[in-house]
Amino acid sequence: MNNAAYNDSALFHAPMVAEVSEHDHHAAPPTSPATCKLGMCIFLCSEAMLFGGLIATYLVLRQAAGSWPPNFGDGIELPPMPKLLTGINTVILVSSSFVYHFAEVAVKKGKSGAGWMLLSALMGATFVGIQCIEWTELYHEGLWFNKGGVYGSTFFTLTGFHGAHVCIGVLLILWCFFLQVTKGTFTPKRHVALENVGLYWHFVDVVWVLLYTILYLL
Amino acid sequence: MSASITHDSIATVETHSGSHHNDHGHGHGQGKPGIMHYLWNTDHKMIALQFLWSATFFLIFGGAMALAMRWQLAFPGHPIPVIGHLLPHSVVNDEGAIIPSGYNVLVTMHGTILVFFVAMPLLIGVFGNFLIPLKIGAGDMAFPALNELSYWLFALSGIIMLSSFWVPGGAPGTGWTAYAPLSSVAAYNQTPMGQSLWCAALFINGLSSITGAVNYITTVITMRAPGMTMFRMPLPVWAIFLTAILLILAIPVLSAAAALIIFDLNFGTTFYRPSGYGQPLLWQHLFWFFGHPEVYILILPAFGLTSEILSVFSRKPVFGYKAMVWAMISIGFLGFIVWGHHMYVSGMNLTLSAAFSVSTMVIAVPSAIKTFNWMGTIWRGSIHYTVPMAFAVSFVSMFVIGGLSGIFMASTPVDLFVHHTYFIVAHFHYVLFGGSMFAIFGAVYFWFPKMSGRMFNNTLGWIHFWMTFVFFNLTFFPMHNLGLGGMMRRIADPTVYDCLKQLQPLNVVCTIGAMGLGLATIPFVVNIVWSMLNGPKAPANPWNSTTLEWTVSHPIPHGNFAVTPTVYHGPYEYSVPGLARDFLPQNEKAPAHITLEAH
Repeated sequence: MNNAAYNDSALFHAPMVAEVSEHDHHAAPPTSPATCKLGMCIFLCSEAMLFGGLIATYLVLRQAAGSWPPNFGDGIELPPMPKLLTGINTVILVSSSFVYHFAEVAVKKGKSGAGWMLLSALMGATFVGIQCIEWTELYHEGLWFNKGGVYGSTFFTLTGFHGAHVCIGVLLILWCFFLQVTKGTFTPKRHVALENVGLYWHFVDVVWVLLYTILYLL
Repeated sequence: MSASITHDSIATVETHSGSHHNDHGHGHGQGKPGIMHYLWNTDHKMIALQFLWSATFFLIFGGAMALAMRWQLAFPGHPIPVIGHLLPHSVVNDEGAIIPSGYNVLVTMHGTILVFFVAMPLLIGVFGNFLIPLKIGAGDMAFPALNELSYWLFALSGIIMLSSFWVPGGAPGTGWTAYAPLSSVAAYNQTPMGQSLWCAALFINGLSSITGAVNYITTVITMRAPGMTMFRMPLPVWAIFLTAILLILAIPVLSAAAALIIFDLNFGTTFYRPSGYGQPLLWQHLFWFFGHPEVYILILPAFGLTSEILSVFSRKPVFGYKAMVWAMISIGFLGFIVWGHHMYVSGMNLTLSAAFSVSTMVIAVPSAIKTFNWMGTIWRGSIHYTVPMAFAVSFVSMFVIGGLSGIFMASTPVDLFVHHTYFIVAHFHYVLFGGSMFAIFGAVYFWFPKMSGRMFNNTLGWIHFWMTFVFFNLTFFPMHNLGLGGMMRRIADPTVYDCLKQLQPLNVVCTIGAMGLGLATIPFVVNIVWSMLNGPKAPANPWNSTTLEWTVSHPIPHGNFAVTPTVYHGPYEYSVPGLARDFLPQNEKAPAHITLEAH
């Protein structure tokens, strides 16, 4: 891998990929870190539209329902959202973003950073765990995908979509951790995967802050 | 130099025996390419061919469903000749005649397959993949492995979509728009499994589109050859670049909406079910928020491809290159604020309806800019009558007819009358078949020499063109009259209404046209398959074109350019005064005494 070819400022200029095709037709041109980062950002735009669609769905249904939780006139009282527990959970998830950032800083300084990665993954896993506990409790209080009308449908679907993203994020961070521990893949000069997993992780955290605000606080 | 990429891909169709020689220079290396060479290949040119063959399969499949529908509409209740007995019982009765619910299945799957498995992969999968790296002077896509993943996600979604025919209840019959609550309540649609698979297939198809789009955008932004500024890019690249942006923003909304249908059908959620305070209309908003940009996803690439073909065969620069780009950008933007014009009859607020009406009509402005620029491009050109040119010129004419009927429907009072009639069917077939498919046919012929290294057969090409042109109009023009006469869409047997019986002769005319259109596919498929194997060798630049893909000879190696080309000027320098040749390739400097007009 020729690090000299990677030039972050090349993002909006035509990069040099010529040397590749001359000697090795089989090899794909090396993809520069800036290019990978751009690709990840574009992908996250589509993720933002996915959550945008879901959040719009929630807002439309909530607006149309009149009161929230909706009153179905059947005398069943729907449980309120556990603001405090999830508030603590939110702090954990947002902190994990900072912890992940420390991993990147460590790698850039030439250190391993694997400890920070593991801690960040554990915090993500804790978030998922607490969400599971919360889902179970709400289930026992009579709220589920198919209970409580749109109140249950939207809550479990939106937090479910987000939870799936957190799970994928935890797996990605663990993958980075194992790469770093077993192979020392990430160097101060090149840590493409670490950087892109970071972008994804920060995105997932920002989405959660939004979801926490509209699902629990509003 | 006998073997080629095309040879290779033909071999996949012939259940590859490995008998051909691999004496082409690129290093795929161990003598013969194994089966994995065709199954997992990160070369953008091979991925383009994978999309081409898959989409051609779906084109024939989806087209056959249209023929079955036309048979039923012309001769309701009569058994389909020859193949009627072979069709599944969810579609036909014991005698081989189409049953009403089976007709709904055909409508649904024809629409879904033609939009998501034919037009999109042909326009974006084939030409996006093949042309973007070659035209901007790059060795491959930015993320070659992601590119191949995109193809396999597409293939997986196709398999899931087709498998819905064989699950209990059969394939869904809710239309390609799958309106809730018909689609979201099992008791209404009777096909909960088929509908769920339909949604899952679109979700995975969406992932394929998104991974593809990420690749296209990144490639265009970061991998242009030196000198290839954004405003020196050929119009097909601009068009597919903008399309990719639309994909990124529109597709995820459909994915979310489709997931909610799966949840409603299987997990008891009530997103679209009024009993749990859900909103059926929400589906229409989410679907058309995707659906209208989707319309431009299907036509912008066709704009780009056609602009280039018209310029090459008129031997003139594209008239108003920058205006063409800005028109596409504004169409792309406006496409996101007009979705309500699909919902005038949904009971939507009338003030909102008026707003959508205005924003829709505004799209006529950039569309007219494009149309007049196409005419300006041909105007006083030295026109070469070739098969791709014939398709490109027909594209413009057919698109104008489809565009004009679009203005009718943009107006709410008119739409209230024609909505859900055959007028709509006529309109969108004029833009999707007369528009997108004509552009695709023209582009397949135009780039055939570059994809295969061989020339297509001209006679077969002209037969294909004239049959397509004549039978297309015979099929779809009378549908305007059918619609204005009151015949509704998605009706399995129009003769059940006395008022529609007088229209039946027109239905027979449409069906005769459709049969001819089906037959027109034969010379096309025969031509591309036969010519890929046996056509005469094509020179590197058979059309005397200026863009970079024509500077490399066949077979194009993995990596495309031996030396990265440098670009000196815009893409369409034809008939430059003072030059000996009537074209100036992008990688050749103009002589000092020549001043080029633009960019």
